[in-house]
Amino acid sequence: MSKRFGSLPLSIKISGVFILANLFIFMVDILLLFGINNMALELEETYRENRKLNELSEALESVQRAMTGYLDSKSTDSLSDYYVCERNYAELAGALGTRITNRTYDRIERNIRNMSMDYLDLVASTIEAKRGRNVERYRVQYEEASEQYEFIRVFIRNLNEERFVSNSDRYAVLSADFRNFETFAMVVMFAVFFAGGFVIIGVTRMLIRPLQELAASADEVSGGNLDASLPESSGNDEIGRLTAAFSKMMVSIREYIVRQRKSMEKERLMQEKELMMETHLKDAQLKYLQAQINPHFLFNTLNAGAQLAMMEGADRTYEYVQTVADFFRYNVKKQDVPVGIEKEVQLVDNYIRILNVRFSGDIRYERQIDERLMKVKMPAMILQPIVENAVNHGIREMGDRGRILLRVYRDGDRVYISVRDNGKGMSEEDAASIIRGEWSHEPQKGDSNGIGMDNVIARLKLFCERDDVIEIKSEGEGLGTEVIINIPYTAADGQEG
Amino acid sequence: MRAKTGLYISLTLLCAAAVLVVGFLFFRLGRMNAGEEEEERTYDRYYAVICDDPKTSFWQNIYQGASQAAEEKNACVELFGANLSSEYTTEQLMKIAISSGVDGIMVLGSGQKEMTDLIDKADAKGIPVVTMYTDNSESKRCSFVGVSSFSIGNEYGKQILSAKKEKLRLQYGEDAPRAAVEEETSVAVFFDESKLMYDQNAILAGIFDSLKREAPDESFSVRPFSVDDSSPFSVEECFRDVFMEADIPDILVCLSELDTTCAYQAMIDQNMVGSVYILGYYDSEKILNAISRNVVFSSLAVDTGELGRYGVEALDEYITSGNTSQFFSADVTIIDRNNVADFLKREDPAGE
Repeated sequence: MSKRFGSLPLSIKISGVFILANLFIFMVDILLLFGINNMALELEETYRENRKLNELSEALESVQRAMTGYLDSKSTDSLSDYYVCERNYAELAGALGTRITNRTYDRIERNIRNMSMDYLDLVASTIEAKRGRNVERYRVQYEEASEQYEFIRVFIRNLNEERFVSNSDRYAVLSADFRNFETFAMVVMFAVFFAGGFVIIGVTRMLIRPLQELAASADEVSGGNLDASLPESSGNDEIGRLTAAFSKMMVSIREYIVRQRKSMEKERLMQEKELMMETHLKDAQLKYLQAQINPHFLFNTLNAGAQLAMMEGADRTYEYVQTVADFFRYNVKKQDVPVGIEKEVQLVDNYIRILNVRFSGDIRYERQIDERLMKVKMPAMILQPIVENAVNHGIREMGDRGRILLRVYRDGDRVYISVRDNGKGMSEEDAASIIRGEWSHEPQKGDSNGIGMDNVIARLKLFCERDDVIEIKSEGEGLGTEVIINIPYTAADGQEG
Repeated sequence: MRAKTGLYISLTLLCAAAVLVVGFLFFRLGRMNAGEEEEERTYDRYYAVICDDPKTSFWQNIYQGASQAAEEKNACVELFGANLSSEYTTEQLMKIAISSGVDGIMVLGSGQKEMTDLIDKADAKGIPVVTMYTDNSESKRCSFVGVSSFSIGNEYGKQILSAKKEKLRLQYGEDAPRAAVEEETSVAVFFDESKLMYDQNAILAGIFDSLKREAPDESFSVRPFSVDDSSPFSVEECFRDVFMEADIPDILVCLSELDTTCAYQAMIDQNMVGSVYILGYYDSEKILNAISRNVVFSSLAVDTGELGRYGVEALDEYITSGNTSQFFSADVTIIDRNNVADFLKREDPAGE
């Protein structure tokens, strides 16, 4: 029942409470009214008998009067008057009780009835005697009738008194009852007042409490405490639904804030990474610029040289100068976007060619490349520094025995690029310290583009978003070194930056 | 909260139910109280007791005795005229009773013709009449309930002797001189004038008889006095006159309750206690107290309750069987110093 009550609309609940209270008061009022009505009726009843007796007394008098009137005048009018009165009195007297009980008034009533019948007989016989002009007889009978009339009058008065006394007792009881009833009514009214108040206050408070809790919660939230305890949803009424909606909204806000915080964190990390990349690239470019004279000037100069060589018919010179120009062009390009492996391999090709011209074909350079991977993206300026390191620290002293093997292959979702030399190799400690970025490289030499391994590794790490991007293998002193980098395989990447 | 809702609703319903129940009980009980009158009882027969003065305890006791007897026979007895606003004579009350069509009448007989006629009229209407205490022997009454006047006289005679003996004892001790014993004792016997006919002679004869028998050689002068009881206060005046006379009787014999009371009151007023002896009648509280205080020497009590009872029995028997005994005699008791305590106790059982 209370469950059903809980799911009723608020308006019905409030109206219900008031209707219930009103109904209660109405019921009590009806009860009190009924009581008062009852008592009023009884009070009215109390003296009814006395009024009836007065009627009887008057009827008796009129019979006596009619008889006297007829005896006086013997008129037809008075005779008919007598008949009317006689019938009336006989009727009234006939209605009196005949029972013999322990109550005095019952017995008096019976006596009056019998005496009245006697009296009426006497009166009738008096009238008869008068009509028969029996003067002696009607005189005697008139005397008797008059005496009887007096007796009856006294008896009626007596009965009236008896009734009055008994009725007065009754009246006193009724009156006392009335007083009691008054007190009772007062008590009931007060009880109803307090009970009604109690119920209405109680129910109203009960209905309003969820709203108060909701308001308190809302206050707390508006005060800035998003973790405020949420009110429990009560029932299915408007307040219940409001509370539920509020709770749901608060939960959603909290979730949203958590999500927002996470995404901001992510964005911050992304920005940080981008910044780092840029910093490293800038660093690389700065190094490069520090190391080189203006590359554009050099590049233009080389172009001019290449044209000159062509005009003079020196094809090899032309080719060489062109290669150098390409090499530098790549370096001058904007290189903060990833490039295809192809570009990096090209750069390494150019570099080796340049070196071979410089050192007259000392370096044997081999490639084992999976052509399908040539479009895979990787950061720029990565391979050339590695090859440069292999040449400088690996095979420089070996003359024409020096070999460089460049391999590009795929294993699962990673693309591996290996640069291997057969140079003097390195210790594991050195390899580890290079990977950790702690290798202190010596000052720039004339044949380096100035980008150190630490820079390369850092950029690779940022690009791949993982740490194991580079591996350095060496089988010992004089047995060469292999540097393997791995980048994620992005198959559908055809675009070039 | 749901539990609370339930609590409030149950509380409301409980309150409503409580109000209804209390209200209902209040009205039920209240109305029962209002209607709580004497339980009604219906009777088969209705007898009237008619006397000259229903307010005296003599008649009240007769009425009570009659009522008790009637109750056993499922009849109702009413002391006619007791509650009427007008004062009616016994004859008028007889007329009323006859006209009222009662089932039987117990009436104080008067020996007068008017009463006899009324008794005959009642008999003609089929209402049996029993005369009480005094008789209308010529009427068609079905029975007479009373005490034998002669035996009353006898009892008074004995009391007169006792009173004389007491007087002598007080004067001379146990051995009174012969002359004193033989000295004439004057006795006045008071009869109510209105009841002149009620066996005055029988009473006097009884007194003489007893005096003769018990003390043949003592001398007594017994004189009847008539008391004027025609007007309300004449009895009292009459006794005052007796004490104002030069020759105050030694012993007063009163034959009614009122006479007794008036006599002893007049005696106290005249300071004659001890020199005049009153032989009273009836056992009202006043008289009993007077006996216990030695103001009244002794009293003669008729068992009034028995009178009433006999009256009802006679009527009942007559109505049932058409015949009854012509005379019922009630017991007579002498009350004096020796047994007055018992009567007082009976009068006032609480002993206060």
